Amino acid sequence: MSTRAAQFGGRKVRPAGGFELTAWFFMRISGLLLVFLALGHLFITHILNNVESINYAFVASRWAHPKHGYIWRLWDLTMICLAVIHGFNGLRQVLDEYVVHPGRRVIAHTLIWSACIFLLGLGSYAILQFKADQEYIDKWKAEHHVASATAPIETGASVLAGD
Amino acid sequence: MSQTLRPPRNYRRGLRETIVEGLRYSGGVGQRSWLIHRITGLGVLAFLVIHIIDTFFVVAYPALYDHTVAIYGGVVSGLGAPFDGYYWPLRWLFRVAELGLIACVLFHSVNGVRVVLFDFWPRAVSIQKQIYTTVIVIFWAVMIPVTIWVLLPLLGPPAHAMPKVGLDAPAPILGLADISRLG
Repeated sequence: MSTRAAQFGGRKVRPAGGFELTAWFFMRISGLLLVFLALGHLFITHILNNVESINYAFVASRWAHPKHGYIWRLWDLTMICLAVIHGFNGLRQVLDEYVVHPGRRVIAHTLIWSACIFLLGLGSYAILQFKADQEYIDKWKAEHHVASATAPIETGASVLAGD
Repeated sequence: MSQTLRPPRNYRRGLRETIVEGLRYSGGVGQRSWLIHRITGLGVLAFLVIHIIDTFFVVAYPALYDHTVAIYGGVVSGLGAPFDGYYWPLRWLFRVAELGLIACVLFHSVNGVRVVLFDFWPRAVSIQKQIYTTVIVIFWAVMIPVTIWVLLPLLGPPAHAMPKVGLDAPAPILGLADISRLG
């Protein structure tokens, strides 16, 4: 390993084993999956749509879609699990380089994994327990004097056309 | 001869060394991409935490979700008569931050693929400068059109559907006057 590290300019190499090796593989596999999941998510929400057209009705049109609502939920659930663990493990690796005192490291790791589990719970609950509140959407439409509360995802072309 | 240097275990880094040495990797292209990868990763994580909490509102409190995303579009509500309304600097701020988020995710993704490439195909290190150049080219090839696409709507009135501006609705105190178009 040392010769390999020297050969490649001191670059960090694969850990020998144990938890760190599992984490090493997880970071790479989840990272490659997130390239498609996260960039696809950004393309839908920031390019086809934008922060000004996204609202409760938009979320409902995806997650509560009668035909392919489950696909969006599956996408978002996979993305949230991979991204949260990837992100907090990355934060742990960064902090491990600065927090070297064993006691402080225990505190840092406890905080990181607690936050990780809390956010996973919050996100999974929202995705799995979501039920479209049609009464609220109708009330919103009436208050805002619009015929359609949102441009559903399948009419992304009309958003592109500036409709 | 007396020993004037302190043994290493007594050496404690000061603030300056902590910052300078803490950011050091191996120098050159590797160090720069490593540092940007780390900063963009932490930035995306910070956004992810906010994004999970605001999306939780769709289950907990739909009206609070719409209230929150309206703020992202520059529309403030619920504060009372003199403060409610559309603020264009708020809309601009969130648009630029949105662009920053896209840039962070994009760089972290493309550079992450480069890191994985070296891990599973070590021979690629012999052409690492060309690969790093490719990463930068892909980043800007995507980022330039995306920047135009994301910032262009700022020149027009906000697309966010707003409560009809009338006698019963508070008038916006800042920003574009012709939002009645949206009513």
